[in-house]
Amino acid sequence: MTNPDPDAARDAIEYCYEKGWTDGLPVVPATEALVEQFLAQTTRAPDEVLWRMDHLDRECTVHTAAINAVMAGCLPEYFPIVLAAWDAVMRDRAAKGGGWQSTSGPAPLIVINGPIRGELGINSTGGIFAAGFRPNATIPRALGLMLRNGFGVLPHVFDQTTQGIPGRWAICFGENEEESPWEPLAVETGLEPGANAVSCTLTRTYEFVDNRHTQDSEQLLSDFADTLSRTGSLIFRGESAGVVFCPEHAQMLSGAGMSKADVKDWFIAHVGRIEADLRRAGKDGISDSGPGARSASEAERAPADTFTPYFSGRKDIPIVVAGARNAAISMVFRVFGEWSNTSVEIEAAPVAAVKGG
Amino acid sequence: MICSDAFIATGDAMADVQGAPGYRYLTTPHPVAGLTAEQVRERAEAVADAVAGMLAQ
Repeated sequence: MTNPDPDAARDAIEYCYEKGWTDGLPVVPATEALVEQFLAQTTRAPDEVLWRMDHLDRECTVHTAAINAVMAGCLPEYFPIVLAAWDAVMRDRAAKGGGWQSTSGPAPLIVINGPIRGELGINSTGGIFAAGFRPNATIPRALGLMLRNGFGVLPHVFDQTTQGIPGRWAICFGENEEESPWEPLAVETGLEPGANAVSCTLTRTYEFVDNRHTQDSEQLLSDFADTLSRTGSLIFRGESAGVVFCPEHAQMLSGAGMSKADVKDWFIAHVGRIEADLRRAGKDGISDSGPGARSASEAERAPADTFTPYFSGRKDIPIVVAGARNAAISMVFRVFGEWSNTSVEIEAAPVAAVKGG
Repeated sequence: MICSDAFIATGDAMADVQGAPGYRYLTTPHPVAGLTAEQVRERAEAVADAVAGMLAQ
């Protein structure tokens, strides 16, 4: 590489700001030659429509996605992951139903499985929710720029986010398959072991559970259940929430003989609140009126000790293992709508692109 | 059409996208979600004359 001209770079970056193409941070100016390098990483046609939002009369093509992946700071070889991540999140019922414009301002959670994690330097261990790794930082940012520049969903207009989620366009990591006692997420959802794949859903809060205090699996799960059962996140009857277990917690549960399915079943039985708790928060209408209820009841509807479980099945509780094995700290996250319980295989780069790249 | 007044910017932008800039609609004070049935009735009564007036145009 010849010495770049920082003044020219600065001018190009400022040009992108003036055009309104950035999310507030500087973007990489997209030249046609660079966009072509990205498009060479996929067999998909540049004019293929990835998604169309009829109500906005706007659509995003593979070509538009490539431009925004460039601007997000991706390397060309990340582009098949960006495409797979988009396809994966659009399997989420909420993403298809207007979730991108919701007042909730949900964040895509992107989980990557397979050997591509090592090949591209995708972090799956220490600091998965922190900064410091190019693919982890730029792949989710590409989705945010696609939404902004492809569909024109801009803050304060079509993006109606009230407050949003910290790190909305920055939540992407590999599963720590090497230190997980359980099958990878992509295998759990039906793909072959060793597949390069992306799983994605829209999420809301992320809350840590720090428990280095017990070796009893029942006590540990009870600590998670307390966070999973909080009333603040309840909107409708029927919840979906997951856990990104650190290796230590996952191994402890596995050591007690629990599979991922066992952990999910334990949460189904224990996560929820009694009527008195729901009523105290003005949310007892949820326990009585079925889906869609969101206002407090005028009168008592059920005995104070009636237990309302939050989860209806294993599908409501995604479980991932990621992070370092240096402390027993895990993360609970709230699914915004309904995760598809599927993973999308990442397309291998065409041979010509590999040779050329 | 009636929407709460927190969504005027989005409503106007949607009208533009749909090829109907300046499309007229009515508003009611935000929020609406937590209102009781009686409060919703009061809101409806408050806006009823404006609804009738717009329909008559």
